[in-house]
Amino acid sequence: MKKTTLTSAISLAIALSTNTGYAQEEINALVWCDHTDPEFIQPFEQANNVKVNLKDYEGTGTALSIIEQSQPGDWDVFVVDGVDVPRVVEAGLLAPLAEDSLPLTDLFAEIVMAENHVIDGKTYAITEKFGYNTLSFNKNNVDPEDMKDLSVMWSEKYKGKIALYDYYLPMIGLVAISLGIDTANIQESDLPAIKEKLFAMKAAAKQVGEVVSSQTAIATGEVDILVGGGEWVTAGLTAELPHLDWIIPDQGAVRWSQSVGVFADSKKPDLALKFVQYILSPEGQARLATSSCYWAMPANSKAGDHLSDQQKTALRWNDQKGYLANSQLYPVPSAELDAKMQDIWTEFLQQ
Amino acid sequence: MILRLKSLGMAGYLLLLYGFIFLPVATLVLFSFQEGRFPIPPFNGPSLKWYQAVFSDHKLTSALTNSLLVALISSAFACVLGFMAAYGFARYRLPGAAAIKATISAPLTVSYLIIGFGLLVSFNLIGVSRSLFTVGIGHVVINTPLCFAIIYASMGDHQLNIERAARDLGAKDWQVMLRVTAPMLMPSIIAAYFLSVTFSWDEFIIAFLLSRFDVTLPVEIWSLLRSGLNPKTNAVGSVVFLISVVIVLLLEFTIFRRGALRDRQS
Amino acid sequence: MAASVALRCKGWAFVAPALLWTLAFFVIPFLVMVMYSLWQRTGTTIVKTWNLDNYASFFEKSHFLAGLSNSLEITLLVTVISIVLAYPLAWIIAERVPHRWQRLALLLAILPFWTSYVVRSYAWLLVLSRNGYLNQSLLGLGIIDTPLEIASTRIATVTGFVHFFVMLLTLTIYANLVQLSPNYRRAAADLGASGLQTFWHVILPLTIPGVMVGAFLTFVLCIGDYITPQILGGNNELVLPQIIMLQITRRADFPTAAALSIILMAVITIAYILCARWLKMERT
Repeated sequence: MKKTTLTSAISLAIALSTNTGYAQEEINALVWCDHTDPEFIQPFEQANNVKVNLKDYEGTGTALSIIEQSQPGDWDVFVVDGVDVPRVVEAGLLAPLAEDSLPLTDLFAEIVMAENHVIDGKTYAITEKFGYNTLSFNKNNVDPEDMKDLSVMWSEKYKGKIALYDYYLPMIGLVAISLGIDTANIQESDLPAIKEKLFAMKAAAKQVGEVVSSQTAIATGEVDILVGGGEWVTAGLTAELPHLDWIIPDQGAVRWSQSVGVFADSKKPDLALKFVQYILSPEGQARLATSSCYWAMPANSKAGDHLSDQQKTALRWNDQKGYLANSQLYPVPSAELDAKMQDIWTEFLQQ
Repeated sequence: MILRLKSLGMAGYLLLLYGFIFLPVATLVLFSFQEGRFPIPPFNGPSLKWYQAVFSDHKLTSALTNSLLVALISSAFACVLGFMAAYGFARYRLPGAAAIKATISAPLTVSYLIIGFGLLVSFNLIGVSRSLFTVGIGHVVINTPLCFAIIYASMGDHQLNIERAARDLGAKDWQVMLRVTAPMLMPSIIAAYFLSVTFSWDEFIIAFLLSRFDVTLPVEIWSLLRSGLNPKTNAVGSVVFLISVVIVLLLEFTIFRRGALRDRQS
Repeated sequence: MAASVALRCKGWAFVAPALLWTLAFFVIPFLVMVMYSLWQRTGTTIVKTWNLDNYASFFEKSHFLAGLSNSLEITLLVTVISIVLAYPLAWIIAERVPHRWQRLALLLAILPFWTSYVVRSYAWLLVLSRNGYLNQSLLGLGIIDTPLEIASTRIATVTGFVHFFVMLLTLTIYANLVQLSPNYRRAAADLGASGLQTFWHVILPLTIPGVMVGAFLTFVLCIGDYITPQILGGNNELVLPQIIMLQITRRADFPTAAALSIILMAVITIAYILCARWLKMERT
């Protein structure tokens, strides 16, 4: 008697755990957390009778690690930092996309970044969103003039009131910019100087955290300055917390952009492409730009028609020209340099 | 006078320590009724909106169901394996018994992180996808030695005579085990089962490493946490707490009362 | 002769399922992990040449060694503090609380731990953060002027751990205390010992085995834990499990993670050997 109940329980379990019951198509997407907002996903799911399974990650290394721990065909859509697209394509992960299926001409010119996305004449991904890793701060507790100089990152004046964004690439990039080194030209010989500054920053900081713990820290007043923050931290919160602001210092800041593509071994390439097209559509772009995890500039300029004035102000829509000029891309190190950078970062966390 | 001081001191110590033990849970439950967006003081008037948010959050409710399923089923498996092994060792003399016992008990001393990681790389190597099923396998691994230890410790010689009597009356071995031994050991078996359910229900690291989209509650709460300080997390924690309290009270008033009655009768 | 062989086969039949399961899903994965620890990861591929580089680099890289020392320091601190706090509590419940209330007292002590482990650690974050409950109360009472910076530090991690292990140790020490025959106390009283002397010379030594079992459990669970340091430590002073997880999740560097895991296991094994004489698994 015990055995029969056990077997039926097991079969029930397997049935329940493998499928939600309704015969729906599913696609699996590996994304940054801004794609997990139900308001962004549901219109697409309902229009296409599809379930989108999302897994979010905090850094490209983690994404690649997840892919390595998966089997071929496990994933359909990939959202990944623009600067990492070349090596992802080199690893054979992405499928080429037909250019006429994408609204390339509607994108802001500076962030098309064809050199990253078009390899051997084929387009593998398209920019969908961009923003900056710079300084976010609490206007009430700090002097905005101090924020114009990157050296505030390790200042004694705000010691213990600083949070650091836990992503080594833009943070090392910011430090490099403060030392006058271009992010595209970071050499191994620059690392000791960068390491020294990083340790100084750690000494002045209260905590190191990823996207949302950084947001929380500055939102709850745990810290007053977030290094590596930007509009993606504060724009979504300014309605409730108007004392939060962000700025690009005089020395410049780091610009991030995320692109979207389809996995080469996806079993649902047509559905995946539909999802990509939804993301790049003006409505999809507007929803992505203001999605709950973090706000940032949409790549498609037509999205402006679907954003309110308050949202555009929070995103500094009209200041983008100047910002784009004064920002540099993430460092793109070779495998050995990357390993050294990650080591420095782990040491940095240990301080 | 000194006696009074001692008693006062002890009462004070009790109060202090119980206060320490209850502090986080009290804060948790209190701020699950928070009105504002962040669960930090000051406390603004009671509001049930976060509980509403929890029950309308499809991901949370399915994570809850998944946790229950994995806990109940994997613990049943672990209990069966542990019971059979305990029976085998207690009733039969096997060569190398000490070594086998040590092997079966080994997972108890290994960190869950290492068990989960080992399974992760192994499944990866042979091409098995991660799922609730793999999480269940991991949980059986950690709970079997527990069940084995608990049940084995309660198998004594006084049960041997009853079993011998049953065998004399013509019962086959598996009948003896199922119909005679198991009922006699019911308290330990149930204790082992519920302990396993507790460990599995609350287990994070193995579930985190070995699941993909269908996750268990601790993993879902962890993702919630990474979405920032949110009274929704408080509400979930309070709900879990409430469910557990109810289960414990149920246990207390059914199993243990029955046991106490039996003791009083005998 | 044939009868005893048949008996043995039956015995094996009962033991085999558990043994096979453990072999398949514990021993073999462990061996696979050992195998990985002897390989190297370069770039995006795993080079399968056998070498001990991962272990060598453990001793060379300061942040790995720091991880181990942080783990040991925190674990030993937690174990000692938990024992010091738990022993009196266990003693009071066992000796001074009336019999019929004892199980309730224990139940009350365990009750808070029926929340999810993850949520409990998060609750401590709420209590200890700058705008959290503790600071607000202390500020309100005028005991301090500026908020205490406890969250995201080692103190927070230790607090979170001690919270759990005090309960665990109370249970194990209590179990030991109630098993002691009252004859010991009677004999000591007959010989003229005072309460304090009885405790110090008789009760305490008799409960050492229970304390050591609890201490060992605390050590193993604490040193291998990822959640509490990750939530409460603020990514400062990483412990070994955090470093292992970093290798797994951010770099897919299974070889390094495997080597670090084996080192963690070695530490636990050393602790086991040191406590071995108190940790025997026997039937009553």
